[in-house]
Amino acid sequence: MGFSLRRLLSWEGLLLLILLLVVAVNALLSPVYLGLNNQVNLFQLSIEKIIVALVMTFIIINGEIDLSVASVMGLAACVLAYLFERGVPMEQAVVAALAVGALCGAFNGFWVAYIGLPSLAVTLAGLIGYRGVARILLEDRSITGFPEWFNRLGQQPILGPLPLAVVLFFGLYMIALVVLNFSGVGRLVYVVGNNREVARYSGVRVPRLKMGLFIASGFIAALAGVLLAARLGAVRGNTADGFELDIITMVLLGGVSIFGGTGNLFGVGLAILIILNMRNGMALLNVTGNVQTGVVGLLLIFSVLIPNLVQDGQTLLQRRRARRKEVELKVKAGD
Amino acid sequence: MITSYELRVTSYELSVPSIVNPPALPALPFVKLTNREAEGSLSKGQSSIAMHSSQPQPTLLLRGITKRFGSTQALDGVGLAMYPGEIHALLGENGAGKSTLIKIITGVHQPDTGEILLDSRPIRIGSTLEAQAHGIAAIYQEPMMYPDLNVAENIFITHAGRGPLVNWRRVYREAESILDQLDVQLDVRQPARGLTVAAQQTVEIARAISLRVRVLIMDEPTAALSAHEVEQLFSLARRLREQGVAILFISHRMEEVFSIADRVTVFRDGRLISSAPRAEVTPEGAIRDMAGRTVEQLFPRSNTVQEETLVQVRELSKAGVFADVHFEVRKGEVLGFAGLVGARRTDVGLALFGVEPADSGEILLDGVARHVRSPNQAMALGIAYVSEDRRALGLSLPMAISANITLPTLRRYLSALGLVRGQAEAAEAEHYRQRLAIRAPSVAVEVGKLSGGNQQKVMLSKWLNTKPRLLILDEPTRGIDVGAKAEVHQMIDDLAAQGMAIILISSDLPEVLAMSDRVLVMREGRQVGLFSRAEATQERILAAAMGQAGGETVA
Amino acid sequence: MNGLRRWLRPEQLRELSLLALIIVALLIFGMQIENFLSARTFNRIAASVAIIGVVAVGQTLVVLTRNIDLSVGAIVGFTAYFMGMQLHANPSMPPLLALLLACAVGGLMGLVNGLLVAYGRIPAIITTLGTLAIYRMLLVNYADARTVTTDMVPAWVPGLAQANLFTLGDFGLRPMVALALAVVLLFQLVLVYTQFGRRLYAVGSNPEAARFAGLPARRTVLLAFVLCGALAGLAGFMFLSRFGNITVVAGQGMELQSVAAVVVGGVNTFGGSGTVVGALLGAVLIDLLGQGLIRWLGISEFWRDAILGLLILLAVASDALILTWLRRFWTPKETRLGRPSESVGPTRERRHGL
Repeated sequence: MGFSLRRLLSWEGLLLLILLLVVAVNALLSPVYLGLNNQVNLFQLSIEKIIVALVMTFIIINGEIDLSVASVMGLAACVLAYLFERGVPMEQAVVAALAVGALCGAFNGFWVAYIGLPSLAVTLAGLIGYRGVARILLEDRSITGFPEWFNRLGQQPILGPLPLAVVLFFGLYMIALVVLNFSGVGRLVYVVGNNREVARYSGVRVPRLKMGLFIASGFIAALAGVLLAARLGAVRGNTADGFELDIITMVLLGGVSIFGGTGNLFGVGLAILIILNMRNGMALLNVTGNVQTGVVGLLLIFSVLIPNLVQDGQTLLQRRRARRKEVELKVKAGD
Repeated sequence: MITSYELRVTSYELSVPSIVNPPALPALPFVKLTNREAEGSLSKGQSSIAMHSSQPQPTLLLRGITKRFGSTQALDGVGLAMYPGEIHALLGENGAGKSTLIKIITGVHQPDTGEILLDSRPIRIGSTLEAQAHGIAAIYQEPMMYPDLNVAENIFITHAGRGPLVNWRRVYREAESILDQLDVQLDVRQPARGLTVAAQQTVEIARAISLRVRVLIMDEPTAALSAHEVEQLFSLARRLREQGVAILFISHRMEEVFSIADRVTVFRDGRLISSAPRAEVTPEGAIRDMAGRTVEQLFPRSNTVQEETLVQVRELSKAGVFADVHFEVRKGEVLGFAGLVGARRTDVGLALFGVEPADSGEILLDGVARHVRSPNQAMALGIAYVSEDRRALGLSLPMAISANITLPTLRRYLSALGLVRGQAEAAEAEHYRQRLAIRAPSVAVEVGKLSGGNQQKVMLSKWLNTKPRLLILDEPTRGIDVGAKAEVHQMIDDLAAQGMAIILISSDLPEVLAMSDRVLVMREGRQVGLFSRAEATQERILAAAMGQAGGETVA
Repeated sequence: MNGLRRWLRPEQLRELSLLALIIVALLIFGMQIENFLSARTFNRIAASVAIIGVVAVGQTLVVLTRNIDLSVGAIVGFTAYFMGMQLHANPSMPPLLALLLACAVGGLMGLVNGLLVAYGRIPAIITTLGTLAIYRMLLVNYADARTVTTDMVPAWVPGLAQANLFTLGDFGLRPMVALALAVVLLFQLVLVYTQFGRRLYAVGSNPEAARFAGLPARRTVLLAFVLCGALAGLAGFMFLSRFGNITVVAGQGMELQSVAAVVVGGVNTFGGSGTVVGALLGAVLIDLLGQGLIRWLGISEFWRDAILGLLILLAVASDALILTWLRRFWTPKETRLGRPSESVGPTRERRHGL
C-alpha cells in the first residue's frame, strides 16, 4: 500500500498521470486519435528523435550534454544524399553516413573527455559546425529519388502493422534499458555522473567511458539521420534542424537530472510518450509546428522548475521545523 | 606619525560603508585605543573567565559556548576573551574544537548554548555578513578571491553603499594606502589570479582593514607559506595589533605561536584546558595540555609482524607537496602515519595509490621497483586506498551497498555479454555484510542511508574485495561511533594477522599509538620521525609533528 | 618588461591579438581580392556587424556571469515583428518611443529568463533553450501567418539603415552603425565604471565567494538577463529597419552567432573575464572572415556556419589551454613557488555554466 502510494507520488507517477490526461484529452477531442494507424504514425513521425533521446539519457546521467545531435543527424543525412548524388551505391553511402556520425561523436568526445573542455561549449561548436558542413555539402539543393528499398526502410510494415521504425524503437529501448540498468557500463554511467571523483578513486577509466558515450551518441544520431532521410525521402541542408530541443526535453522531463547521476529510462519512456501524444494531439487539431515546439519548451522549463520549487518548499519546511524546535528548547531551558 | 595618522583618516572617511558603522564602535579603529582604563571601568558583569580588573574590556567575549553535531560534542562550555591589541593563539589537536569555534564566531554556525558579547553587549551572529557588520573577519589557509578582478577590486568589491559608480582612481589610491599602511609591495592593478597564497592573504587582510576589522581570525594562515612569507604575515599581524585589533591566531607551528602570541589557549576534546599569557607557558607545557587526550580503552594489538618486507618506499617526492619520504612496511605490519592537518600524509597515500602520482622516488614491492601512475596499476599490484572522505571520494551514496562494494572489481561480476551478474554480486556483498557486520537489512540498501560507521565498513569491504596486499587506511574511524570504531580496530588487527601490510593514516593519536607497530611522523610534507612501538608516546609524536623535536629513532 | 606586464594583461592580449588578426585578414584579403578594401565592403560588414554586435553586447553581460542566453534570436525576431506591426498601426509614433518600446519588450522577455535562472535555479542553457521555443511560438501566434513588409512601416525606419549621418569620401556612417557603436561604448563604460558591471565580473569569477560575501548575486544575474533581453529588443528594431520584411523566422540563428562572437571575442565561457569591445571585435572578425573567405576562395555562403563552429572550438580550446599557459608565463617566477592558488578551480557547478 505504502509502496504503491509512494510510486504514485514519484516523478514517474506524475508523468503517468500527465500521460493519461493527455491521452484522455486527445481521445475526447479527436476521433481518429486512438486508431491504430494514428498510433503507429505517431511513433513513426518522431522515431528519429526518440532513439537519440535514448543515448542522450546516458550522456546526461553521466553528467554531460550533447547539443550537437541534431546537427549530426542532419550531417549524416547530407553525407548520405551527397554520396548518393555522386553515384555511390546506397549501401555504401549509409555506411559512410554512420561512420561520419561516429567520427563527429569522437571529435566531441576527444575535447570533453581528454582535454577537459565543458561539453556544453564543445557540442555547441559542434551544433554550429556540423550543420555548417552539412550545408556545404548540399548548399540549397534538396536531394530526392533514393532507391525504392531505402524509401520503404522506414515505412514498410515488417511486423504485423508495425514498420521498421516502431520495431526499432522498441528494440533499442529494450537494449538501452538493459544496458543502463543491468550492465557494467550502465553502472559506471551512474557512478561517474553521480560523483566522478569516487569513480576515479575506484579505478574507473572516466575519460574512456565519456569518449565511448559520445561516439555512441554520434553513431546513433547518424542512424537517426539516415532513418529520417528514408522517411522523408528527401534531404536538405536544414534536415533535423532544432531537434535537440525535443530530444533534451524528453530526457529532462523524464526525470533525469541535468547535473547527472539520477534518472532512469522508465521516466524517459513516459516522457517520450507524453511528448509524442501531445504533439500528435496538437497536430490533429491543426496546431502549427512552432506552437507545438513552444509547448515542448514550456514542458522543458517546468520539468526542471517544479522539482526545484518542491525542493525549496521542503527546505523551507525543514527550516521552520528546526526553528520551532529551537524555540521549544529555549522555552524548556527557560523553565 | 602625523602623516600616517592622516592616511588612516583618509582611508577611513573614504572607505567605510555605512552598514559596517554601528554607532557604538569607536570612531577610528586604526588608532591605538588609549582609553582602555575608562572602558575597563565601565564594563560591568564581566564573566568568570580569567580577567583582571586592571585589563581593558575585551572586544569579543564568548561565554559557555556549547555545540553538538549529532553524537559528537564539538564544543563543551567554552569561553574565550579577545582583547584589543592582543594576539591570542589557540592550540589544539585536530578535532579539538578550534574550527567549530571559528565558525561560531564568523556566523557560519550558531551555538547551542552560550553567549557572545561584543563590547559587553550580547550579539547574535547569524551569518558571515552579520559577522562582517560587527567588524569580525577571518582569513583562511585558502583565501576567498575573485581571480579575474584585480587586487584593488578584490579589496573593495564587497563594500556596499559606495554608490553606483566606481571611482577607479579612488579605489586604487585607497587600496594603495591600505597596502602602504601594511607596508606591502603589491601591484593593485594586478589580477588576483596568479597571486601567491601569501599575497592573497594580504589582500584579505587589506579587505578586512577596509571593513574596519576589530576582531580578526587567522585560521592556520601560515600553512601554505614560506618562512619569509610567514615573517611578512607576522609583521602585518603585529601592525594590526598596534592598531587595536583583537586577533585570534590558529597554527600548528609551535615556534610561530610562541613568536607572535600574547596569550596561549589550549583546547582539547571541545573543552578549554588552559589559557595563560605567553610568558607563563612553555612549548612543552602546551603540548602536554594538548596531548592529554582521553583514551577510550586502548585496543590490544597482537604481534603480527612478519619477517618479510612487502613495500619499500625510497625518496618519494612530489614538488610542492612532499619530499623524501622513505619507509618500508613488512607483511602483517601496521605502520601508523601521524601528523597534524597539512602534514601531507594523505598526499603520500594518494601517490602510493597512483591517484596523484609522485614526481620522483621509488616504490618497491617484494623488492621490485614498480610504476604506480594510476589507481588501476595500483590495484593490479595489490594496493588499495580507503579514502578519508567517504562522501566526496569514497562512496557513491545513492547507489546500493552491493554496487559500491563491487565498483573497483566490477569486471569480475560481468557476464560474457557485459551484464552485471546480480546474484554473484549480491552474494559477494552479502559475504562482506556478514563478515564486517554491516547493519543494513540487505545489500540493496542505498549507502547514503547508512550510519557513518556502516558506511565505513562498506568502504572497507569495497577495498578488501580487491584482495590487497597493502591496505592504506586514511582516517578510517573519523566521525564514526565508539562501537563501530572498535570493530574497525578489530578488523585491522585481523587483516594484519592474515599478513596484510597496512598503512594507517590517522589524526587520532591514541588510535595511532594503539594500532601501529611503528609510527611515522610527518610535518609539512617532510618525514620528521619514525618511532618504534616502545618509543612512541603522545608527547613525542606531537612534539615531532609540531616541529619541536624529531628523530629517526628506528632504522 | 615589468611595465609592459603591468599594462598588458593576458585578457588585453586577447583583444590585441584579435585586432591583429583582423588587420592581417584585411591585408591578405586586400591583396588577394580585387576591390576588397572599399567602402562597399566596409559598409556591408558594418551593417551586418551592427545588429549582431548589439546582441553580442547583451550576450557578453550574461556570459560574464557564467550563464548563456540562447533565446536572443527569438527575442530579436519577436521585437522586429512586433515593432513592425506597432509602427504600422501607429505610424506617428516618435522614433525614441519606438526604440524604448522595443527595448522594453525585449527586456520583459529577458526578465522571464532571468527569473527562471536566478530564482528558479534552472540552468541557463535549459531555460533559454525552452524560452527560445516559447518566444518563437508567441511570435507565430501573434503573426498569425501575416508578414511585415517595408512599405508597412514609416520611412524613417528603413532610413536608419540606409541614410548616412555623414560621409567621408565613399565611407558613410549609418545611424544604425552609430547606434551600435554607442551601445558598445556605453556598456564598455558600464562594465568598467559601475558597481553593477564589476559585480558581473565578481559573480562570474567566483560565485561561491560572491554569495559568501553577501553580494546580491541573484539580482546581478537577473539584471544581466534583463539587459541582454533589452539589447536583443533593440537589435530587433535594427533588424526591422535593415531588412524591412519580417517573417516568423526572423532572427533565427542569431543566438548562436552572438555566442560565437562573444566566445571568439575572448569572453571566458567560465565567466568573470572579457569585455564588450572584445565581443564586438569577435563579431567583426567572424564577419570579415566569412565575407573574405567566400570571395577569395570562391566558396559558397554555406561555409559560414562551418567556419563559425571551428572558430568557437578554437576559441574555447585556446581559452582553456593557451590562456592558462599565458597566465603562468605572466606570473613572475619568484611568486610561482609555494602553492599555486588554484583553490578556485572548476567545481560541479561550472560544468554547466557555458
